[in-house]
Amino acid sequence: MKSAFRNGYFTLSRSLNPNPNPNPTLPSTLFSLHLIPHSSTPSVRPQPFRSVSPIGKFSRVSFTSMAGSEPYAPPPLEKQFEDFRAQLEESGTLRERIRAVVMEIESTTRLIQASLLLVHQSRSTPEVLEKPKAQIAVLKELYNRLAGIVGESPGLYYRYHGDWRTETQTVVSLLGFMHWLETGALLLHTEAEEKLGLSGLEFALDVEDYLVGICFMSNELPRYVVNQVTAGDYDCPRKVMMFLTDLHAAFRLLNLRNDFLRKKFDGMKYDLRRVEEVYYDVKIRGLAANGDSVERPAAQGQP
Amino acid sequence: MATESSSSSSSSSSMKDAFTKYADYLNNQNDKRERIVKASRDITIHSKKVIFQVHRMSKGNREEVLQKAEKDLAAVTNQFVSRLVKELGGTDFWKLRRAYSPGIQEYVEAATFCKFCRTGTLLNLDEMNATLFPLSDPSLEPLQINVLDYLLGLADLTGELMRLAIGRISDGELEFAQKICKFVRDIYRELTLVVPSMDDSNDMKTKMDTMLQSVMKIENACFSVHVRGSEYMPLLGSEDPTSFILGVPNVDI
Repeated sequence: MKSAFRNGYFTLSRSLNPNPNPNPTLPSTLFSLHLIPHSSTPSVRPQPFRSVSPIGKFSRVSFTSMAGSEPYAPPPLEKQFEDFRAQLEESGTLRERIRAVVMEIESTTRLIQASLLLVHQSRSTPEVLEKPKAQIAVLKELYNRLAGIVGESPGLYYRYHGDWRTETQTVVSLLGFMHWLETGALLLHTEAEEKLGLSGLEFALDVEDYLVGICFMSNELPRYVVNQVTAGDYDCPRKVMMFLTDLHAAFRLLNLRNDFLRKKFDGMKYDLRRVEEVYYDVKIRGLAANGDSVERPAAQGQP
Repeated sequence: MATESSSSSSSSSSMKDAFTKYADYLNNQNDKRERIVKASRDITIHSKKVIFQVHRMSKGNREEVLQKAEKDLAAVTNQFVSRLVKELGGTDFWKLRRAYSPGIQEYVEAATFCKFCRTGTLLNLDEMNATLFPLSDPSLEPLQINVLDYLLGLADLTGELMRLAIGRISDGELEFAQKICKFVRDIYRELTLVVPSMDDSNDMKTKMDTMLQSVMKIENACFSVHVRGSEYMPLLGSEDPTSFILGVPNVDI
């Protein structure tokens, strides 16, 4: 703003200087303004610009009297803006409280993520899951708190949604991965809500966030498969491939817009392809358990 | 193996069921968003027309032009804003805000523009929202313009006021131009204090820069008239020096 201010001043002096020929034949009384007809020094008239600055009360008063319009009275305009400021500051405070909880959620997801990384190091699944599963209770408590804060102003969920969106997507991906490791099935939206203790609350898990989270989970699977095979679990590629094929088929039921979710979904086919490649490598070397691979011949045909 | 494959097929069918539900949800949501975008676009188009109508104002036809503009604005409210209200159906005001925000901003711009030209004052958000109450079904939550959209609309208003001020100056209505100048400065000053606490203020920050440009354009124009006033006579714009002399008898500023 400072520089713009200065620009304005220069424009002013420029437009003033090339004016050496004011017409003196016209009486200035023709104008309602109190003209200074021949002024050619820029310093005479910088006042109007000063009122652009936030502390402009004085110069505005001087300007109005100079312009000869109605006397200055505190307009109701200011009142409204004061209200706005109070309102916006209040929502700013609410946002800060939300962010504080979200930061805790984030650090909890980091803990979970770190402990889940051990699945790639050929530890037994139940052993790996022990620690992160304990953290779910923490997440539940945090989401409960978040729901409480957001619930104070009903109907404003989506005003602040952006503040917890990415973190929640990560939470879903971790929960989904853990659930899959445990049961081999997909964590459904309702189940995810249940795990976070959000069932029946106004603060619900947004469906799109859930779906994005599931896409993130799918990104984890190729690495898992590769490491499982290295560790000697040759049946894993087949299981993962079937799961991903089903998941991919299920996602294709959705009519997606050209948005983030669409992009994530488009990425899912690369996960599937990678898993198929691993499966192929294992199969062609006769390492996979034989028999049921023919069970779903269509699986190979997926894009 | 057999048990596993049967459990996997049952889980795959429950997956399908669940995704069918998500698909329904997304379809509804997207359709609704699409309808709201359309409604918003209509509001934008017709609000722009109102603004153009106000710009047709000149010294002689002020009353007539404003009356038509106000009539058009009322039509925008009753036809197009009410359709938006209907499409929203009392929900998703924040969720789908991005879909209707542009239209509402333009509508705020048109309404405040009319009001300023009529009374020289700012149309308050509460007053605007009061006119929206009757549009919605009393059993539903009514659409209320939120502070953010209102402020974004006001930021655009200054651009129109700049055009109006320049037009008024060339038409010789200097006092009106001065009034516009003061009003725009007031808005700019008030907004500088509000902007930092707005939700996503980036949009607004660029608007503030444009707004300062507008303020300065008005000020420079006022300044030019002020200093070189003698050269700005009623038939301004004409390069012909005789027109200036011809214009003198008509001076009634």
